[in-house]
Amino acid sequence: MNGASAARTVAVIEDLGFTDVVSIPDGESRHLHRALIDTPEIEVYSPTREGEGIALAAGLWVGGRKPLVILQNTGLMEAGDALRGCGIGPSIPLLLLVGWRGYPGAMAGALPVDSAYPYTEPLIRAWELPHRRLMSDEDLGVIGEMAAVAEGTSKPAVVVYGYGFTP
Amino acid sequence: MTTERLDMLRALAARRTDEVVITTMTATLQWPLVSSHPLDFDFLAFGMGHASDFGLGLALARPERKVIVLKGDGGLLMSLGSLVTMGQYAPSNLLVLLLENRSYEMTGGQPLAPKADFVALALGAGLEKVERIDDLARFEAELPRLLTEPGPHFVVVPVTNSEPLPPVAHTDHSERVTNLRAALGVTPPEGGSNTGGGEGGF
Repeated sequence: MNGASAARTVAVIEDLGFTDVVSIPDGESRHLHRALIDTPEIEVYSPTREGEGIALAAGLWVGGRKPLVILQNTGLMEAGDALRGCGIGPSIPLLLLVGWRGYPGAMAGALPVDSAYPYTEPLIRAWELPHRRLMSDEDLGVIGEMAAVAEGTSKPAVVVYGYGFTP
Repeated sequence: MTTERLDMLRALAARRTDEVVITTMTATLQWPLVSSHPLDFDFLAFGMGHASDFGLGLALARPERKVIVLKGDGGLLMSLGSLVTMGQYAPSNLLVLLLENRSYEMTGGQPLAPKADFVALALGAGLEKVERIDDLARFEAELPRLLTEPGPHFVVVPVTNSEPLPPVAHTDHSERVTNLRAALGVTPPEGGSNTGGGEGGF
């Protein structure tokens, strides 16, 4: 339970046929972001805010690409209207890889608890989005599982990662 | 000077051929008065302020096809950072027509920031082909260039409206997406049902 490897995660993303990644870097995803930029087969776009990113990804998908969105839980909170309007409402099957800021500290019993921590899964459930947790390399299969759920339901699906990616 | 919006839309529809045209807010209400085309895309209620973000993604996905976004200045203020993203990735097939009326017309005409200089903001964000077109005659004259010259272009068009606005048409959102993907020749994902519903009142 110490985070998935960025290199192995990129390999999974490639195997699943994702063509583009829309990502706003954060501390937990920095190694993954770097590994994706170093992968020429995948286009990486970094918008200025997460709602913007979800709309951008929706445009990519409508145009025939297969985008993956990587954002922190705080960004998911910011992006609610875009997620509703560019994902759930129009049945666009975006896969979201969501960083769970506050999770490691909460698991370690650190105080104060990051206020982003307790609302993450309840928020995803409130959107009625299926989700699974990614905590280590052993869980990497959940990315393909949730990608299939998104495509099968024509709705967004979520993978939440609890620890920062390792190189 | 300003341009009557419906005249400006009529001029664009007369010149438009196979470009995708994305509309939002009041442009969504008036565009169907002058155009009925498979590549028209009504972005209304898809996400406040995000029409050009969606258009940017579509332009990046389909570099062979011009993508035109008609959005308002109020909408731009809701996602101002998108100018920076447009400037960074700069697809040559993107044309954003910013309909500047200095108000949130869709919600009752509340005024917005009177001093914001949208040309300066776009230039400062890294967009290079930025211009302001103040009257209909010049808009008509510049359209052939804007539709053919590599961009991206960001064009501020000051507009007024004296026409009654048609009511909001709440067509099914997923159907709009399905229709546009079909018009673009995109194969729907296997197993995708795209059966989501539309939205309620605006």
